[in-house]
Amino acid sequence: MNSFSREQITPVGMKQAGQINGIVIQWQDGEDLEYDFRGLRLACACAACIDENTGEKLLVPSMVPVDVKALTIESVGTYAIRIIWSDGHSTGIYPFELLRHIGEARKQMLAAQ
Amino acid sequence: MSNKLPGIQHVIATSSGKGGVGKSTVSINLALGLVQKGFKVGLADVDIYGPSIPVLLGIEDEHPQVLEQTLIPIQKHDLKIMSMGFLVGQDTPAILRGPMITKFIHQFVTGVKWGELDYLILDLPPGTGDAQLSLAQNVPLTGALVVTTPQAISVKVALRGLRMFEKVKVPILGIVENMQGWATPESPSPFRGGQKLSETTGVPFLGSIPMDQTVAISGDEGQPLMAAYPDSEAAGAFRQIVSRLLDQINHTASPAGLGSFKWNLGSGEGAPPTREEANP
Repeated sequence: MNSFSREQITPVGMKQAGQINGIVIQWQDGEDLEYDFRGLRLACACAACIDENTGEKLLVPSMVPVDVKALTIESVGTYAIRIIWSDGHSTGIYPFELLRHIGEARKQMLAAQ
Repeated sequence: MSNKLPGIQHVIATSSGKGGVGKSTVSINLALGLVQKGFKVGLADVDIYGPSIPVLLGIEDEHPQVLEQTLIPIQKHDLKIMSMGFLVGQDTPAILRGPMITKFIHQFVTGVKWGELDYLILDLPPGTGDAQLSLAQNVPLTGALVVTTPQAISVKVALRGLRMFEKVKVPILGIVENMQGWATPESPSPFRGGQKLSETTGVPFLGSIPMDQTVAISGDEGQPLMAAYPDSEAAGAFRQIVSRLLDQINHTASPAGLGSFKWNLGSGEGAPPTREEANP
């Protein structure tokens, strides 16, 4: 994972995305990054979705509904958020560093298309 | 400030990797040092496995009252005190699985009537387990103090504690070295682990507490050092550490961020802030 500056991993705002089924996280360095719900759900790094020892992905993408969405998002300390999903999943904690990484990756992928 | 602890300006956790380094003694005397500077201070003993603050303060027979389902802290030496020791009894071992620890900690966050406080000191259990993690996740900490003894073995474990706070983005306010000993002006102590830890990690070194008999005696008498022996060398060291700690707190800018929120995306209730709201 790339290493980010403090400004790059400090969120200052969060809101529903306008165009897509997802959210926007606004970062302190001025960057606003979009996250689609399904992509975020698939990126869940909790022990039920990723094998703790091997890092192997346990979550089967086809099992996640196409229209999955976040029902509740809450802060975890000052370093992460927890998302409660419409498919019943709720154990994933998303540290801001991981979210920045996911957001950058998604942006690059869309730019390459 | 988070809505989870209304009325409390700063929450500071005292931690150590290893047990037995004098974390509770340090917590008590720092809390009293803050009281002597005129602040309103609370002390929460969250060491579920070995709560020692009631004994050190001579209040082990007290029972906190419960009012409208909240615990009223015990008052002593102008400090408001709550301890796991009051809840589980001094001689009863608290045998707790992870989920119970989280529940207990939660009760200490929301279930104690602290009132208005400038500082709340949390005396953590040693280690880097469920208790520490729950706190970092549930309590809006201003920062953490790391207590170590001068020896390499304690420093090594303290470093783990330090790394844990880094991971959960809790600012580390400084390192306090306890039980510094065998020093004379001619031959300084060969052990200087606290300073070394500070040099390797870049965390400020707040000072050393000398191995002073008054520290141990005051603990056994249930009279804290700062109250019983204010003129001792160790009490002077604590006063100096308190001043440096206050400097550190002022330098640690309140972390920017979203604060504490629980956002229901269906109703829009509890939504976090947005950039547009912050800069209209």
